[in-house]
Amino acid sequence: MKTKNSENYTKWQKSFEQETKIDLNEASSETDEGIKIKPVYTKADIENLSFVDNDSLPGQLPYTRGPRASMYTNRPWTIRQYAGFSTAEESNEFYKKNLKSGQKGLSVAFDLPTHRGYDSDDDLVMGDVGKAGVAIDTVEDMKILFNDIPLNQMSVSMTMNGAVLPVLSSFVVAGEEQNVNKNLLSGTIQNDILKEFMVRNTYIYPPDPSMKIVADIIEFTSKEMPKFNSISISGYHMQEAGADNVLELAYTLADGIEYVRAALSKGLDIDDFAPRLSFFFAIGTDFFMEIAKLRAARTLWYKIMKDFGAKNEKSMILRTHCQTSGVSLTEKDPYNNIIRTSYEALSAILGGTQSLHTNSFDEAIALPTDESARIARNTQLILQNETGVTNTVDPLAGSYFVESLTDELSKKAWEIIEEIESLGGMTKAVKAGVPKLKIEESATKKQAKVDSGTRVVVGVNKFKNPKEPKVDVRVIDNNRVRDDQIKKINDIKASRDQKAVDKSLAKLVIAAKEDSNLLACSIDAIKNRATVGEVSKALEQVYGRHFATSLSVSGVYGKHFEGDEDFMNVAKKVNSFEKENGRRPRVLIVKMGQDGHDRGAKIVATSFADMGFDVDMGPLFQSPKDVAKDAIENDVHAIGVSTLAAGHKTLVPELMKSLKQIDPKSKIVVFVGGVIPEQDYDFLYENNISAIFGPGSNIIESAETVIDLISDKIHKDN
Amino acid sequence: MQFVEKIVKGERAAIAKAITLVESSRENDKKESRKLISELLNKPGKSIRIGFSGPPGVGKSTFIESFGRYLVEKNYKLGILAIDPSSQITGGSILGDKTRMIEISKNPNTFIRSTPSRGSLGGISIGTREASIILDAAGYDFIFIETVGVGQSEIMATNLVDIFSLIVGPGSGDELQGIKKGITEYADIFIVNKNDGDLKSEASKTASDYKSAISYYKKSSEAADKEVLLVSAIEQTGMEKVIETIQNIVLQNKKNKNFDERRAKQFTYWIEEEVREIIQFSIQNKIKEDGSISKFSQKVMDGEIQMFDAIEAITQNLQNK
Ligand code: B12
Ligand SMILES: Nc1nc2c(ncn2[C@@H]2O[C@H](COP(=O)(O)OP(=O)(O)O)[C@@H](O)[C@H]2O)c(=O)[nH]1
Ligand SMILES: [Mg+2]
Repeated sequence: MKTKNSENYTKWQKSFEQETKIDLNEASSETDEGIKIKPVYTKADIENLSFVDNDSLPGQLPYTRGPRASMYTNRPWTIRQYAGFSTAEESNEFYKKNLKSGQKGLSVAFDLPTHRGYDSDDDLVMGDVGKAGVAIDTVEDMKILFNDIPLNQMSVSMTMNGAVLPVLSSFVVAGEEQNVNKNLLSGTIQNDILKEFMVRNTYIYPPDPSMKIVADIIEFTSKEMPKFNSISISGYHMQEAGADNVLELAYTLADGIEYVRAALSKGLDIDDFAPRLSFFFAIGTDFFMEIAKLRAARTLWYKIMKDFGAKNEKSMILRTHCQTSGVSLTEKDPYNNIIRTSYEALSAILGGTQSLHTNSFDEAIALPTDESARIARNTQLILQNETGVTNTVDPLAGSYFVESLTDELSKKAWEIIEEIESLGGMTKAVKAGVPKLKIEESATKKQAKVDSGTRVVVGVNKFKNPKEPKVDVRVIDNNRVRDDQIKKINDIKASRDQKAVDKSLAKLVIAAKEDSNLLACSIDAIKNRATVGEVSKALEQVYGRHFATSLSVSGVYGKHFEGDEDFMNVAKKVNSFEKENGRRPRVLIVKMGQDGHDRGAKIVATSFADMGFDVDMGPLFQSPKDVAKDAIENDVHAIGVSTLAAGHKTLVPELMKSLKQIDPKSKIVVFVGGVIPEQDYDFLYENNISAIFGPGSNIIESAETVIDLISDKIHKDN
Repeated sequence: MQFVEKIVKGERAAIAKAITLVESSRENDKKESRKLISELLNKPGKSIRIGFSGPPGVGKSTFIESFGRYLVEKNYKLGILAIDPSSQITGGSILGDKTRMIEISKNPNTFIRSTPSRGSLGGISIGTREASIILDAAGYDFIFIETVGVGQSEIMATNLVDIFSLIVGPGSGDELQGIKKGITEYADIFIVNKNDGDLKSEASKTASDYKSAISYYKKSSEAADKEVLLVSAIEQTGMEKVIETIQNIVLQNKKNKNFDERRAKQFTYWIEEEVREIIQFSIQNKIKEDGSISKFSQKVMDGEIQMFDAIEAITQNLQNK
């Protein structure tokens, strides 16, 4: 029987094929997730959905349409900008200014030494103090950070995972010393260690003790800090590291399952802690996909929690923070980033986020300036106040396309979640390194699409701006910050009751050995003015420090370029280099200091290998001295330093010095890639750096430059 | 200073350049390499060379890190040649062994060199023997050679090392059935790694599988006993036993001359290999110049001459040249 619908559809198909001259079956496009996007969706696409319930309303299970009935019609999302740099004093000023200009919640970005549990005076962190976030060494710094910010009124989110014990303790003690009891503190601690092992790389201890710490914090907060979110289960960093949306969604929820299990193992009742689990997702440029992802996440979490036997409705509702994607933002033609961020923000809103961070247009250059941060914040103020998007809850509900996409994403993610469960859960999977490898594979594919031009990035591989604008850059003098911090540490160490410190640290060690709750002990130590580094080191005595062993993808980049002329050209150059020199060009790719951004380094390494280079991959967190030894022993032709966390001006000259120390006649070519503000180029060239490859560099072109530079050097020396 | 002196003095850059030279595929470098090696052979050191072989992922690199840390703490100097299996179709490779040797690679008493295997033997690469001579002359107490490929144990053991150890994982005992003979013959030590956590009981079981397998082996009267050891590279357990075993084997084999005999055999083998290579090379050139192969095969095709007569004639011809 022919219905009106199907008659219409046939008619439409005919017109479509006439207009496009393409067979409808071939007119679908494919997303990174491998989802086919059709040119048109109809009612038929939302019949028989597996996860989505078309009759449900906002605030009703399975919560696809939003965690609350009224959503933004009652209260808009929280504008929560992530920020922190140099000293607590400067960050505090910055926060106060932002709160005056309409920001609602605070979100603290710590520097890398703090993340990794080192005090500012540690030799290992020479180049990193205050550079990529605020340095916190003791509770005194934490108190300064919240100077004139009443902690009983302000909700504070803290991105802290590795050194979560001393940092959360400092927050609690800072509150106490503001006369705010811990049961009044509101906010969120990220406390999501699994994704650190996968992508964010600020772990300290091995996976098992790290999971114990997570569980301790959930246990403690569920009893003592009822207004505080004990964890922010984060997919954000996965997408930023290269995961597609299905991977991000699946791994995040699988992490969530693992944390629930860890908390249950403490003997807690699920409804005691589940309402305080929160989530964090990235919002990239794939507009509808991102909306569907948030809707799917809520739908799936409901199912997961119901299966766990949760009774309280609040346990089953996924609440999330979102951040627009930093990796979608470009160094080239940076004002385009304002536009990208706006669309992403709209996506997050239509997906129903509870709070949002919008990135600044100078994202790929350095930490935001006051001015760029203002524009980023205004993106949200305009959405809230001028566009009318807050007037209707979940306005895309019923869209054939969005509903069907929501369901499809849910299905795909569910398959991966089940796969991980069958492997024994996320901790096991993470230890085996599989999720990390899958994300790196996805990242490598994305890079290949951009480098080949299959994916357009405006201003980078198409529509380039012939006259790049000059933009202001926030400059942080890390030597000054470090000196300030060291002075403060020394003062505190001189004035504190050392015996009390030693005793509380010894108690902490015992607690770790005896497996009792560590947060309470750590609060004591911090109250006694033990430093963040001291607390971390005490636990390190028991748990050891974790060193990641990482696997590498291979052949993924090259496969995309089969038969490509430029690619083959480099491969040929490599071959004739081998004939001429008796071996292939050999390049050591390194990460120095505490910078854990390894996406670029790993992609460049695998791509170079695909073009025929021999690539030595250094581990994370090397010192310049270690790199020099490694480079010279392996007699590499070149070192490629990948640096994104602004340590380059300290670490690169240090490397050059170390090379000369071991081999005064060293002929190793050194080049640098990553986030380098243009005004630092001359400084690096003066330090004998041969080439700089900034964000958006085409890897095939970079490889050609590298092999040419190496060949030149060899010829000049002969 | 002369190159050789620098190497003997232990200058890192000179050692590294020397290894590059012996690994080079360039004809000119090969000549230089021979010259260098013959000079270094006059300045022998006192290294003990130990091979660590085993399938990918059993923890060879991690074990070397862990055992190496133990040795450098005792002030031994340690040279490591890691032959990385990760060569690709395109010929490039990602050398990641050092990401598992983080602590020891920082130590001034180590020298760590990774070499892509280039797929040749799946194990030993060109120049590995020469590289170990360089490290020996440079004064390293131990030279570790990490290779993949259990199938290469014979080549490794007879060519390169004083002690050959096989690293295996828990559960690998089942595979023993088929390969019993080869393995038990060439390996001196069997190291069962990953004896930790959930894997402990499986590891013990594997160790007893190996023990019973080597009990079939009839050793020559005085040779040192083969040993099966349980370790955890990650937890750094069982390391004393490993060094003890190594020292025992060295001691006993030196006493009964097995040690020197093995080295002598390796020399003979090396010479034979070099001679063979040189002859093969010159024969290949002769064949190319001579052209009689294609001439004769035409005659065979045309029915003018029997194939085996042709072969005889060609060989005669080449030998007389
Ligand atoms: C992705 C990302 C992350 C991911 C990292 C995931 C991972 N595993 O790598 C996550 C979300 C975890 C993250 C976390 C943080 N990040 Co971040 N991050 C980024 C972001 C958005 C993109 C970087 C990226 O991966 N790009 C894609 C890759 C492919 O590009 P790439 O690395 O630049 O490499 C290309 C070229 O540079 C070049 N190249 C690079 N290396 C090499 C090497 C060689 C040999 C060659 C030839 C070429 C080459 O070729 C590559 C291909 O084009 C940048 C901003 C930006 N847009 O650049 C911020 C950025 C680097 N992050 C920043 C900060 C501060 C952080 C944090 C410290 C925040 C905090 N306080 O908690 C944390 C901590 C991370 C850590 N452990 O170090 C700052 C650094 C500030 C600065 N430099 O002044 C930046 C610049 C953002 C900003 N403006 O604030 N981050
Ligand atoms: N449980 C356990 N895992 C180990 C041990 N040694 C190595 N591994 C793991 O095994 C994997 C492979 O190790 P690697 O040293 O690279 O193996 P190789 O390929 O033999 O050199 C890594 O994930 C290691 O962390 C060990 O003693 N115990
Ligand atoms: Mg290895």
